[in-house]
Amino acid sequence: MDKTVKLSLYFYGLFLFSSSVFAIEIITHNDSGLSLNFKNEENIRAIFSMRQRYWSNSEKIKVFVLADNHVVHKAFAKEKLAIFPHQLRRSWNRMTYTGTGQSPKTVNSVIEMIQKVKQTPYSIGYVDTLVSDDDIKVMGAR
Amino acid sequence: MLKLIIGLMLLASSHVYAAELSWQDKLSWQNIQKNWQDDVQFHGFLSQGLISSSGNNVYGHSKNSVSALTEVGLNASYQYSSQISFAIQGLYRRAGSTTGKNGIGVLDYAFMDYRFFNDNQWQVGIRGGRIKNPWGLYNETRDVSFTRPTMFMPLPYYERSRGLVLAMNGGQVYVNQFTSWGDLYFKFNLGVTESDQELLIAVTSNPAISGKLNTSGVNFLTQLRYEILEGQYVFAVSYAQMDFEYKGLSPIYNNLQVPIRPLMLSMQYNGERFSLAAEYNLQWNHFYGALVPEIKNVSEGWYIQGGYKILDNLEATIRYDQTARDKDDPLGKKISALSGGLMPAYYLFTHDTTISLRWDVTPEWMLRAEYHRVHGASNISMIDNPDIGDIAEHWNIYALQVAFRF
Repeated sequence: MDKTVKLSLYFYGLFLFSSSVFAIEIITHNDSGLSLNFKNEENIRAIFSMRQRYWSNSEKIKVFVLADNHVVHKAFAKEKLAIFPHQLRRSWNRMTYTGTGQSPKTVNSVIEMIQKVKQTPYSIGYVDTLVSDDDIKVMGAR
Repeated sequence: MLKLIIGLMLLASSHVYAAELSWQDKLSWQNIQKNWQDDVQFHGFLSQGLISSSGNNVYGHSKNSVSALTEVGLNASYQYSSQISFAIQGLYRRAGSTTGKNGIGVLDYAFMDYRFFNDNQWQVGIRGGRIKNPWGLYNETRDVSFTRPTMFMPLPYYERSRGLVLAMNGGQVYVNQFTSWGDLYFKFNLGVTESDQELLIAVTSNPAISGKLNTSGVNFLTQLRYEILEGQYVFAVSYAQMDFEYKGLSPIYNNLQVPIRPLMLSMQYNGERFSLAAEYNLQWNHFYGALVPEIKNVSEGWYIQGGYKILDNLEATIRYDQTARDKDDPLGKKISALSGGLMPAYYLFTHDTTISLRWDVTPEWMLRAEYHRVHGASNISMIDNPDIGDIAEHWNIYALQVAFRF
């Protein structure tokens, strides 16, 4: 076998592997002045459970999520928040149906998620693909 | 090498999504960008249940027939600023004779929330208006079927005299603290509890009584809740002080005082597939008036409940639940003997075993089937079961429910 083809097959395999390792990434709208403390899961959880409602610059955080039964949402909850999707739903339900908070906006697909985060200043969401867009910041590439 | 680079680029491009905006998107986005639309949210829920039973009636004429439970809620919330928000919810219920043939629509909550202090660790604020009561694990959203463990609430939630714990007209102070070892939620509700007809009937043992039990003095309900990992483990203590007095034309009950002091200890585990909940309830009662015999006792109730998600969207729940009017007389024998047998012992306790299967068809739609095997009748509605001579000790409830939320 040609040496270059061998090498390209090797890289192909590496790419597939890495794309499954970096399955879920948190993305935000690329606002200047938007600062986030992503030091640990608790801070991210505070945002997605709708407890922390404002960025440090006092702009309202606009949270986008996929449906509870979406495979990417389930993976996101477990990998990035270290909780189960039904726990998020429990928190949102309690706020939504007691008037003590608001729920995130649900989008229908990862593509819509990317569009919404691109279009919405001060927004946050998550994806399971690589995103390359000037208006979108990919967080916490560890 | 060139082949490799091109190959990688091709691969990469198939995984990279370059977001493009159409002019329609831009146009509709301009609407969405208006602030008030971003800050206002509308939500709601709807459920329809069908109930059949043997022995006693539940939510209407269910005995050897079919009765219906309908719950509809609609709410709006407005986040005016980082410190000020408003929320309102209307609730319609049709639940047997208590709510009448056409059901009853009520204001479920309506309040303004002013948050003094808000950061990553602390939230401190006050709410004024009509506010849901933080009683146990489930009370604040008790009418949203999605948030209940089963179609019927566990017994310590006063389903018969639900007005007692539903909501309070007044104010709430809340303090939430978020730490690396868990989250603490403290709520203190102060105000007026609404009049509850079933409570008046239960206190007077007189289904035909006219008049009302009104709040006398200051009532409060408070809860301290501790949660680990966004509710994976929940522990809570709830306590209330509720004082009522009789207002009506019945001279015997003139000046009847009904102070009630309920306490509830709650714990819950929510795992990926398995969940467990247990609550223990004590209630200190003291009923007295000029012309009625004084009653002083402590009611006791507890349940243990396990849930297992067979599939992500299919959950089975089993619960054993029991309550006694007087904890020193758990099977009602003493009180029954004192009444010379006039008051059957099984009026004074309830033991309920529940099996429930819930299917979340989509995140918005849910179906549920439920069976209850019940011994005792201390918690049945006297309005749905007006013929005291016709109350059964051993009975069954079968129920189906469809629910929607948005």
